Amino acid sequence: MQAIILFGILAATYLMVIAKRGPALIRAFRYQSFCLFALTFIIALREHQIDLYIISGLLFALKVCLIPYLLYRIISRIKANEGLGLFVNAQLSLLWALVFTYLAWIFTTRLIAPGNTAQASMLAIAFFVVLAGIFLMIFRMTALAQVVGLLVMENGLFLLASTVSGGMPFFVEIAIFFDVFISVIIMGFFVYRINKFFTHIDVNKLSRLKG
Amino acid sequence: MQIFFILGIPLLLSLAALLIKKQKLFGIINASGYLAILFASIVLLKQVVLSGSANAYLSFIYLDTLSAFFIFVIATVSFATALYSIGYIRKDTREGVISERKARIYYCLFNLFCFSMFFVPSVNNLGMLWVAIEMTTLISAFLVGFYNNKKSVEAAWKYIIICSVGIIFALLGTILFSYAFSLASGGMKSLNWPDMVALAGKMDKNILKIAFIFILVGYGTKAGLAPMHTWLPDAHSQAVGPISALLSGVLLKTAIYAILRFGIIVTHGAGVQYFNNLMILFGIISLAISCVFILVQKDLKRLLAYSSIEHIGIISIGFGLGTPLAAMGALLHIFNHAVTKSLMFFSAANIVSVYKKHNMNAIRGVIKALPFTGIMMLLGMFALTGFPPFSIFISEILIIISAFTGGSYLIAAALLLFLAVIFGAFIYHFGKMLFGNLPKGMTVTRESLSGKLAFLFLFVQICALGVILLFTKKDLLCIAQNLFPR
Repeated sequence: MQAIILFGILAATYLMVIAKRGPALIRAFRYQSFCLFALTFIIALREHQIDLYIISGLLFALKVCLIPYLLYRIISRIKANEGLGLFVNAQLSLLWALVFTYLAWIFTTRLIAPGNTAQASMLAIAFFVVLAGIFLMIFRMTALAQVVGLLVMENGLFLLASTVSGGMPFFVEIAIFFDVFISVIIMGFFVYRINKFFTHIDVNKLSRLKG
Repeated sequence: MQIFFILGIPLLLSLAALLIKKQKLFGIINASGYLAILFASIVLLKQVVLSGSANAYLSFIYLDTLSAFFIFVIATVSFATALYSIGYIRKDTREGVISERKARIYYCLFNLFCFSMFFVPSVNNLGMLWVAIEMTTLISAFLVGFYNNKKSVEAAWKYIIICSVGIIFALLGTILFSYAFSLASGGMKSLNWPDMVALAGKMDKNILKIAFIFILVGYGTKAGLAPMHTWLPDAHSQAVGPISALLSGVLLKTAIYAILRFGIIVTHGAGVQYFNNLMILFGIISLAISCVFILVQKDLKRLLAYSSIEHIGIISIGFGLGTPLAAMGALLHIFNHAVTKSLMFFSAANIVSVYKKHNMNAIRGVIKALPFTGIMMLLGMFALTGFPPFSIFISEILIIISAFTGGSYLIAAALLLFLAVIFGAFIYHFGKMLFGNLPKGMTVTRESLSGKLAFLFLFVQICALGVILLFTKKDLLCIAQNLFPR
């Protein structure tokens, strides 16, 4: 079961890398978050820990429902072009993503050297998700894609934390969730501002401050 | 007990800021609140240093000498900023740059920002440390984009995105540290600092090394260490005048504090050499890059921002040299840079609000137009570039002496070379700006009393404390000696 969910996370991440338009990107992000939720929930069922139930509940409420809803709202409200502004086209992006997957695998097996292969594959996927997030932030031009990239990186870290140390201490995990949620709200606020002043959200064209 | 006082006052004031309608009255209440915090932090520092032990409350708040010292630095600068804000915000509202309502929001955000910074050195848990530092970014982003124009929104966006990515790397590092901890302890789940440091010797060396690189890149972004510094000049130049001082004076230092916390674990677990080499490498890169940009800079506030990168580089080299003397120099430098740079940013804010421009080539005759600010800036410039008898000279000379005595001649030479070039550049830029004739159509401007008081408060710290600390150096040397294992 776990392997299928992990595969789902991997597939959702590939979907994000090849997405050309905002709504597609957010939908894929929702799939990814849902897989993470399912993973945590299964672990919670197995270990019967109240902490894990709460964390998976929060994951569902915030990352599957609320944050994608907010992102959709931003897209519809700013009425900007829905395209993400790809620096690298979809095919090439997919190629990059495959390279990242391989690099993440090498990194985990050589450097972290975990005990068993199940844990190794989970770690590798976590690192790959983080790398994919960085890729989205660098090679997509709109402010919205950067916000999603950041969220993807955070998802990768959540997976990493639950793999290596069985999650962070409970209240830290909760604090991080709210932190991420607040940062999405604040970034959304600034996306509106950028759209208002520049009439676009193309961060590549924000180049007034130099030197 | 003082810590609850220190954390509570900013929260209360942030609420009061929204309720009290009279701006001047609130400004004075605000400043007196921060004066109380300053006294509380001095009492706290004394208590912790004298008792020589750490205090922990409910395993959530943890205070040792290092954190008490950082709280003291934050309290000093935030008091000066609260004092300076009274005059600055009043002038802005009078001139119609911001509305009365916006001024109240300013005070509310200012207090929340200070609260989040006081929170950073007082938490016990390294995960909460991450949350606290992310909180400082989120709150101060509003203060960077406060004036709500194209430039400030752009600066705020770059600030929030670059720092958030950086801090995600720091979270990755934190997770790897907790992994190393759970391997060493046999499956325990804790990020509390005393637990971590107690087991540091048993942790896996390779994991610690990888994790520390992520920590250094992550928190280094927030600290403004060089190749990750790109947000810093934008944010510092666009933020509200008094806030630039807080950003440069103490926000960067809270990130340095986080690096030190993890650095101490690494020095116990993976050897001192590894930590030292990385810190020195980033320090030298920061110095080199800031040196080039200071030479060719045209914008006054950006010049000061690059100078912050330079000083963060010096601090990082100080900790990297690893001897107690150098660590003491670096600690002193944290304080000295905080007060000196605040003074410089306050005077820059005064100049910008009178001349309405940032470009140094277009500003002439500051001493004639703003006599008090001009003279303070001249003295502050000498202090900032490491001229005796000011305090930065003392901390820099401590670092350089320990580099020479430790046999790191190359590092000492590089440090001296960059400092000399930066000194020249400062004299060149500021000489043109401060002296010269009054521009046509400009009259001598009266400066507000609260602004002058803030300048004097900082100036006393720059002159006197640099000398006094030299004679009471025993306590600080004690902190520095206990900081790193030998």
